[in-house]
Amino acid sequence: MYNEVQVFAENKSGKLAKVAGVLGNAGINIINFQIADVGQFGAFKILTADPDKTAQVLRDAGMVVALNPVTVVEIADKPGALVALGNALTDAGVNVLDAYGCLLEKGERAIFVVHGDKADLAEKAAKSAGFTTLSEL
Amino acid sequence: MDFSERIGERFKLMNRDEIRAWQSERLAITVKQAAKSPWYKAKFAEMGLNPEDIKSCDDIKKLPLTTKEDLRLSYPDKMLAVDKSEIVRLHTSSGTTGKPTAIFHTAQDIQNWAELMARSINLSGATDKDVLQNMSGYGMFTGGLGIHFGGERLGMMMIPAGPGNTPRHLMLIRDFGVTAIHATPSYAMHVADEMISNGEDPKALGLKYAFLGAEPYTEAMRLRLQELYGFKVYNSYGLSEMNGPGVAMECTYQNGMHIWEDSYIVEVINPETLEDVPEGEIGELVLTPIRRMGMPIIRYRTRDLTRIIPGKCECGLEHRRLARFVGRSDDMLIVRGVNIFPSRIEQVLMAEEWLGGNYVLHLTREDGKMDVMTIRVELAKDAMSGSVDVLKNRKAELGRKIKDAAGFTAIIELVEPGSLPVSMGKAKRVIDERDIF
Repeated sequence: MYNEVQVFAENKSGKLAKVAGVLGNAGINIINFQIADVGQFGAFKILTADPDKTAQVLRDAGMVVALNPVTVVEIADKPGALVALGNALTDAGVNVLDAYGCLLEKGERAIFVVHGDKADLAEKAAKSAGFTTLSEL
Repeated sequence: MDFSERIGERFKLMNRDEIRAWQSERLAITVKQAAKSPWYKAKFAEMGLNPEDIKSCDDIKKLPLTTKEDLRLSYPDKMLAVDKSEIVRLHTSSGTTGKPTAIFHTAQDIQNWAELMARSINLSGATDKDVLQNMSGYGMFTGGLGIHFGGERLGMMMIPAGPGNTPRHLMLIRDFGVTAIHATPSYAMHVADEMISNGEDPKALGLKYAFLGAEPYTEAMRLRLQELYGFKVYNSYGLSEMNGPGVAMECTYQNGMHIWEDSYIVEVINPETLEDVPEGEIGELVLTPIRRMGMPIIRYRTRDLTRIIPGKCECGLEHRRLARFVGRSDDMLIVRGVNIFPSRIEQVLMAEEWLGGNYVLHLTREDGKMDVMTIRVELAKDAMSGSVDVLKNRKAELGRKIKDAAGFTAIIELVEPGSLPVSMGKAKRVIDERDIF
């Protein structure tokens, strides 16, 4: 299992720059960053190598922060690599609430991040289908 | 018996019959005194009222009501009933709803007020052994000197800290063994929020008593403050026209504020018909101070809406109790034709642990369209657990609760902790931008 850092963000300008500034000053490298929009507010979803530290520096800067448990699956960076994982999750009855992928090494490795309704289930399903799930990035 | 427990005992322990007899005697004196002022002299003459005809409380309805507007018209000194040389202090109102009004006190008036205030503080159980830090502004605002003189009269060590500067407040509390504070509820909440965000526990301050007032706040907010600080919050009531703080105060049963009926005659009227409402029903509080000689005010319409709690208090005092104020007859909002007091919205917000203490109600209306109420409320620091979806669901649920409470749908905007303006004095919770007058 891995923790994705979520940061509450009002829908107004300057927010992205503020979060990026805090992480930059703390020397934290961003592996993946995306924005979830639920209307008047949204959340930044941030993957870094040290989620606890990331959450702490953002909290210290006065932000509302949460750690969201996700499954990080390593997959090959080639066409069709996602099919087997998709099948495994379907067979295990995992309801995917949120998912996204990002590249680690071009043409070699990528990760696919899954937030399922039952966190353990996604993890187990991926493993039993022969995938490696990561607890370190 | 402890020295501090004897203050004003003769008045404090009066039973209903004694209160009634005393009130009749004092009302007659007060009306004669008022007739010495240019304002009431003219008023009584205009009504054909002879002050000698007022002999008991039963005659009170023969007297005119006095409004805030009357006080403004009498500005600066038409209600003054003694020679200016006898006056030792001037206060003005906070001007919450317009221009200030001027109130004069003789030396005896100030002493009586200090005695009432001391008696009020003592009702919480605080004594001369306690140390009271007053976070009110000193100056024209009566929450400064009013509380101060009362605390000193009780024999407490008073710290006239004044408003603002949270680090200094905390330093004084820690260094001088402060056991009691006087502040506005929103400021007490702000200090707690600040301490918690610095990783400190407000309970560690060791405060035992908090006297909060000067702005409306809900029972939910009181419970929250008590939980955060570990102190007891005592509601107090006062208004500058009636001296200031010390008019009514809760006892340790925390079930309504005993209004000192040896000093004020209480009426609760229907603000439309001006008739008395039956005891126990909500109406506008009308007060006649009967121990103030420098500037008597007859049957003052406070605009505050409350009710008398029927029956006797367990503490044994026979001064009747005022229930929690439901608002002011002039701060009720009408939104889409629905009457709503901001306090009703606050109640809902305060019950949600994932929300912080600060909020603003914003009212707008576009041309020809319906009113829109936008509630901007700060999140608590730990508002979000797991995914943002949790927050989305909580917001939707809050929207339903507001609709149940208010009767209309409001727009809710969640904002970050600390992003709404903090007020050091009275919090401005309602911003009405509708062009409706």
